[in-house]
Amino acid sequence: MTSRTPDWLLERLHAGDLPEGEAARVRARLRAEGGLSRLDALGADDAAFRLAHPAGRVLTEIRGRAGRPGPRATAGVFWRLGPAVAATVLLLLGVVLVPRTGLLGGGAEGTGTKGGPQLVVYRQRAGQDAEVVVAGTPVRAGDLLQLAYHSAGARYGVVVSVDGRGGLTLHLPEGGGSAAALSGGGVVRLPHSYELDDAPSFERFFLVTGNEPFAAAVVLDAARRLWASGAAETGPLLLPAGLGQEAVLLRKR
Amino acid sequence: MPIDVEAYYRDLGPMVLRRCRRLLRDEEKAVDAMHDTFVNLLRADRRLIDRAPASLLLRVATRVCLNRLRTERRHPEDRDDEALLAIAAEPEPLGPSVARLVLARLLGGERESTRLMAVLHFVDGLTLDEVGREVGLTAEAVRKRLRKLRARVAERREDDLLPEVRP
Repeated sequence: MTSRTPDWLLERLHAGDLPEGEAARVRARLRAEGGLSRLDALGADDAAFRLAHPAGRVLTEIRGRAGRPGPRATAGVFWRLGPAVAATVLLLLGVVLVPRTGLLGGGAEGTGTKGGPQLVVYRQRAGQDAEVVVAGTPVRAGDLLQLAYHSAGARYGVVVSVDGRGGLTLHLPEGGGSAAALSGGGVVRLPHSYELDDAPSFERFFLVTGNEPFAAAVVLDAARRLWASGAAETGPLLLPAGLGQEAVLLRKR
Repeated sequence: MPIDVEAYYRDLGPMVLRRCRRLLRDEEKAVDAMHDTFVNLLRADRRLIDRAPASLLLRVATRVCLNRLRTERRHPEDRDDEALLAIAAEPEPLGPSVARLVLARLLGGERESTRLMAVLHFVDGLTLDEVGREVGLTAEAVRKRLRKLRARVAERREDDLLPEVRP
């Protein structure tokens, strides 16, 4: 049995969950054993968690398991921290936010209609401007990507990705449910960035658009079927009539 | 006001994952158990308020992990892990699903699991007083429950894996 302050109490203190007297007692104990830095470590781990396990994606999974429909799409947790806090977290993680450069195009595979909606992938690089990642560009695990779209007048959209392990990620809408109402007027960034994990070989992003509302599940099912067919790197999603698609394939190295 | 599961995930998801990592010692299983913890919360109810959400989620996560460990057959990595697996193997007398236990706890009607108390004391290192404060029992009541559990574990294993229950 350990004599240092148990993690259980440390977590409750960190969460602000302990009654006042108990919190003071645990804090004093930590101070006495030189363990206040453990609280700082929890704060840093929280920030890393929020990048690695974004709420939109995870809550979709959780609601699916619970058999409950998702709520309306909500803003990403990370970006809801507020620009200053979000920037601080990124700096702590060695990432520098840069202003939107207005770059567009060059990233897609060309599966969509020319002049139609476009999906743009930026890579954020520490100390440098964000770069547009064109199709086929080698990327690696840990790269921080920012997805954006140009609706070209399309009213509703869903962004999903499939990776080399067959893992599906719903990027837009974050909470599942119906396709997000797209904003017009240029390139629109999704609410949060996306860190590539260590899935092998590739990550392929799809923007599916339509002028009538449709369910994000339609796109997820199509992506799942595409993966099962063995054509996830090159094939199109088989979608209902009236929906268009744009894809960007990134190669892992 | 309802329980806001999304806010709970946002604020306490990292804590839940750390808890699951500590007990399961496997990243993939820990992430899965974290998801199940929130699934149980969703299934329990969204209309209720809990005054200590971190405590609630730590308990739910612990129960989820204990249930997983109980069905797992793996070699313990150290003495703490061995104790945890032994506690997990103890029958859970309350029976119902974790989600129902969450609901019962939120309503204030749950009899706390001895397995949870055992993990808090023998694995996490909380004193009897601290365990008592966590579960709303006196230290003496906790001591009695843990002594009985320790005896059952020792009988099953024919050794004294769990240390003496101490203040």
